[in-house]
Amino acid sequence: MSTSNSKRIVEDEEEEEEFEHFDDFTLASSWERFISEIEAVCRQWLADGPKNLLVKDAVQINHLKDLYKVKSEFKYATRSYCMEYYFAPSNDGKGADWDQTLHDLQLCFGVKEFLVIAPQSASGVVLDAPEASKLLSAVAIALSNCSCLWPAFVPVHDPSRKAYIGIQNMGTVFTRRFEADHIGSQVPIKLMHLEGLYELFVSKFAYTAVDWSMHHFEVHFKLKLTYRTPTYDDEDELQEPDTDVIGSSENIETQTHGKTQWDDDCPWSKWYSAEDLVKGFELLSLWSEITAESSLDMAELENASPLEADKWFLYPCLSENLAISDGSTIGFASQLRLLVKALEMSSEAKFIEDFVSVENSGSENLKSSAVVPPPTVLDRVLKDLFHEVTEAQPDSSLSEHKSSRSIKGAPLESLFAQFCLHALWFGNCSIRAIAVLWIEFVREVRWCWEESQPLPRMPTNGTIDLSTCLINQKLHMLAVCIDKRRREVKGQNVGTNNPLTSPVQEDLQVSMEFSASHGVSEGFGRKHDRNGSSDVAGSMMLLKSHKIMHAPITQDPPLMTEDMHEERLRAAVALGDSFSFSGQLERDILASDMSAFKAANPEAVFEDFIRWHSPKDWENDDSEETGVSQNNAMEVSEIKWPPSGRLSERMSDYGNSWRKIWNEALPLPASQQKPLLDPNREGEKVLHYLETLRPYQLLEQMVCTAFRAAADTLYQTSFGDLKQMTTKIGQLYVTMASTLKFLQSHNTISDSDVIEDLRRLCTTFGHIEKLILLAASLHRKFLQSPHLAEAIFSDCYDYYLPNMGTGSAKGDTKKEFDKKQQVSSRDRNLIIGMFPPPTANQSWRKVLSMGNLLNGHEPILREIIFSKRDHVSGSYYSAPTPNLYQQDIETYRMYVCGTSNDLRVALAVTSFD
Amino acid sequence: MESSSGAQPEFDYLFKLLMIGDSGVGKSSLLLSFTSDTFEDLSPTIGVDFKVKHVTVGGKKLKLAIWDTAGQERFRTLTSSYYRGAQGIIMVYDVTRRDTFTNLSDIWAKEIDLYSTNQDCIKMLVGNKVDKESERTVSKKEGIDFAREYGCLFIECSAKTRVNVEQCFEELVLKILETPSLLAEGSAGVKKNIFKQKPPESDASTSCC
Repeated sequence: MSTSNSKRIVEDEEEEEEFEHFDDFTLASSWERFISEIEAVCRQWLADGPKNLLVKDAVQINHLKDLYKVKSEFKYATRSYCMEYYFAPSNDGKGADWDQTLHDLQLCFGVKEFLVIAPQSASGVVLDAPEASKLLSAVAIALSNCSCLWPAFVPVHDPSRKAYIGIQNMGTVFTRRFEADHIGSQVPIKLMHLEGLYELFVSKFAYTAVDWSMHHFEVHFKLKLTYRTPTYDDEDELQEPDTDVIGSSENIETQTHGKTQWDDDCPWSKWYSAEDLVKGFELLSLWSEITAESSLDMAELENASPLEADKWFLYPCLSENLAISDGSTIGFASQLRLLVKALEMSSEAKFIEDFVSVENSGSENLKSSAVVPPPTVLDRVLKDLFHEVTEAQPDSSLSEHKSSRSIKGAPLESLFAQFCLHALWFGNCSIRAIAVLWIEFVREVRWCWEESQPLPRMPTNGTIDLSTCLINQKLHMLAVCIDKRRREVKGQNVGTNNPLTSPVQEDLQVSMEFSASHGVSEGFGRKHDRNGSSDVAGSMMLLKSHKIMHAPITQDPPLMTEDMHEERLRAAVALGDSFSFSGQLERDILASDMSAFKAANPEAVFEDFIRWHSPKDWENDDSEETGVSQNNAMEVSEIKWPPSGRLSERMSDYGNSWRKIWNEALPLPASQQKPLLDPNREGEKVLHYLETLRPYQLLEQMVCTAFRAAADTLYQTSFGDLKQMTTKIGQLYVTMASTLKFLQSHNTISDSDVIEDLRRLCTTFGHIEKLILLAASLHRKFLQSPHLAEAIFSDCYDYYLPNMGTGSAKGDTKKEFDKKQQVSSRDRNLIIGMFPPPTANQSWRKVLSMGNLLNGHEPILREIIFSKRDHVSGSYYSAPTPNLYQQDIETYRMYVCGTSNDLRVALAVTSFD
Repeated sequence: MESSSGAQPEFDYLFKLLMIGDSGVGKSSLLLSFTSDTFEDLSPTIGVDFKVKHVTVGGKKLKLAIWDTAGQERFRTLTSSYYRGAQGIIMVYDVTRRDTFTNLSDIWAKEIDLYSTNQDCIKMLVGNKVDKESERTVSKKEGIDFAREYGCLFIECSAKTRVNVEQCFEELVLKILETPSLLAEGSAGVKKNIFKQKPPESDASTSCC
């Protein structure tokens, strides 16, 4: 079988490489045929060179940037083998420094490119030594046949031992042999110490009979010690938020009980406790060139502090959850994903109540996800929303991102936004849980309305912000209506005592803008025929009566929510061009103003009103009057009276609609007018809206508001000055705004396309959320040297971002983050601070055995590369070009890598054959 | 968005435009001049007025819904709601009255920041009443400088002589047509999958806000 097989291969070879002449190997032994096969492949690889191999079928080694491999398979006897050639495409000649990440074999033997041949079995290892050396010699023969200088390695024994043997032909006279092995337990005490390792190395080239302590052998070596910051929260790990979210708010409570979490004072901690994505740090301290002459030198070095090392590198140990974005880790993103799911289901029923009574809904989906937390949880949420409101409400616009308004949600501190955030964590955020919470929420809102209790977390003044979602606008409207009702009740009480002062109390702030001076009104306001005046209007005087003009108290322009505006717009569009629009509402407002003005200034004429209301339609003859108006009342008498001037042309036109309204207006103070906004009617309308809201309308607004509020919450995180993070957050808002704008438009019932977009948005949100958690964690760990936090974050950001920004759920997450950050000498003390001396309790647990303690912590890993260089001259051999050998070459190299309970040794010996 | 709900086949896009500025600068006259080719000395607007005009610009049939607001301070809280969803905002001043020009930056630009819900909306600065050249107190250069600072279009026109009136609206509409996000709003509810497009760039280009 193997004969025919190899024949075919030979034929193939002949076809491919006609310039290479091959003999007929059919008579050769299978061993020889095996060698020739290897040889053929090696020739092919040699001929191709790295560049061509890259084009062909080389694959990159996962975590190593600069290493590629190609492979080929063979059969010999009954076994098949796989040969791999590792190479670096950029041949910079210099051997890689161990600052960088190297392939294990490169590190062990100080080689660059190499071959590995191994049997294809489950374990991938040649089990017995004879077979291994036979295999190796086959490769060695093949390589020397094609005068190839690549080192070749064969694995031996059990794979966990990482044992190799290898050989390299180094030109005509030198051969390097390699051998590596590993002790997994019970490392001899001697080999735990630098002294013993030194002696081990020396024993490889010195005569066995020599007493080590008496002789001096100059040995060069490099040392790398790795320390890991101690972790104290091993036990906490077990209590990480489990994926079962039911009643998660309870979970959080129990977790935080008695134990401080790393993120206790972070803005998201009200909602969930996040895993610290920075598990700890590894500190690498490097000594690059040390020379030792005796065991004593080594013993001395073992007492050296890592502070004396040449270089320090810091490497963050990041949680593997950082790269996972499937929503398995709990956070805003995972809950938003559930909310989107609820949105998807929301169109299945017509009324919110339908989702509560499971029996009525036919959907299986509903039943399976129907988890509602117990009433105690519900009570607590409502209590938090309605009763535990801090009196001083911070100006939420300060804590919001500037792009926050472009998302049609509600401001972070507002009632509806807080409702949405609670809903995210209520039960498993299923549509049923949401429905239960909403119904109770509306019931509570109705209670506030019925009892005229102020609506918490909502302003009672200002105009309705139409950039927010409709529910928020409605709640704002309701808050204003409740406030008006409360004032009415109060006003009636006061009014019975003193009917004259009550209107002044009512709405002082409204027309303040017209008043230039305070306190002056006293003298003039006492007159009985004057009613509903707030203040004098500057120093203006009435045209006909030589009296000070008073600015009236006016009614607020009626508040309107978005849907009310739209009603008006639709009416206007329907009427179109044919009709001069100026709607009834505007006329009502103007008429109300005129009535109030007449009441406040009984002797006023139309011109007076215009001078106050639309000053630009009064043309003064004397342009200086405006300057005088700043003066106080004492100078009033000096003002020229009557002021000479006239109405503007357009205002004095015949049939001017303003004059018509003026003529019809009765003098009535604002307090006695028919209100422009009827709080009782508008308030009931709001409640009707809330109580009859369609499920998908609720969910659409909740999705928008929840995204916005979650982002605003995270935005409050302090993470120092990280530009990438700031930009990324800005981009998140833009993405959210452009995705969410498809919701809440009237013509949609959310289709699958929108839902799909929202899912991607959740993924994107999850990435940003994790980056923020990472940034916050780094920021608080490096408060003293923010530049380190910035540098490490920047590395992580560059590493993780390519997988994140696109919104693709799974990228190539196999690569491990390996970027180390060099620590400048002035930051070393800070790093040492991260290694607090272990407590007595901790130190007895471990037997310290390796030396080089850092604040009482021993390294978790010690790596040493010993090397011995010899001056080699070609005098022993009559080489054709003796100059070639007039150089130092590394005759012995030993790589030692050990922890406190295992040891790995790899030896490379160059010899003259 | 909401304006597209009444989409009819008679036009490709519906745009909402808004006119603001001090009282008496000629907003209503400008609008009348544009929509009905006439000039009258109109009564001051009470609150807000509204006109529709169908135009064809760049091969597209457009329906323009133009809202004309009153300049009086008293109406300002009322008119603030009309900023919402406007794709274009026309700021008008009177070249013969300096205060109407300074009020644009003191008052009106702030109103836009406060009430406009559309970050991409196009703003246009219009100096009206250029027919009264002899009484001019605001130079063209000042107008241009202001427009540059606020990132808006600029034109001087006269509602009375109808100089530049057509161009004023046309230029604004052309600019809206060039802005994809505004175009998407104006067209009849066409949805786009934003993730299939390029990811949004950082908001470096919002010079107007």
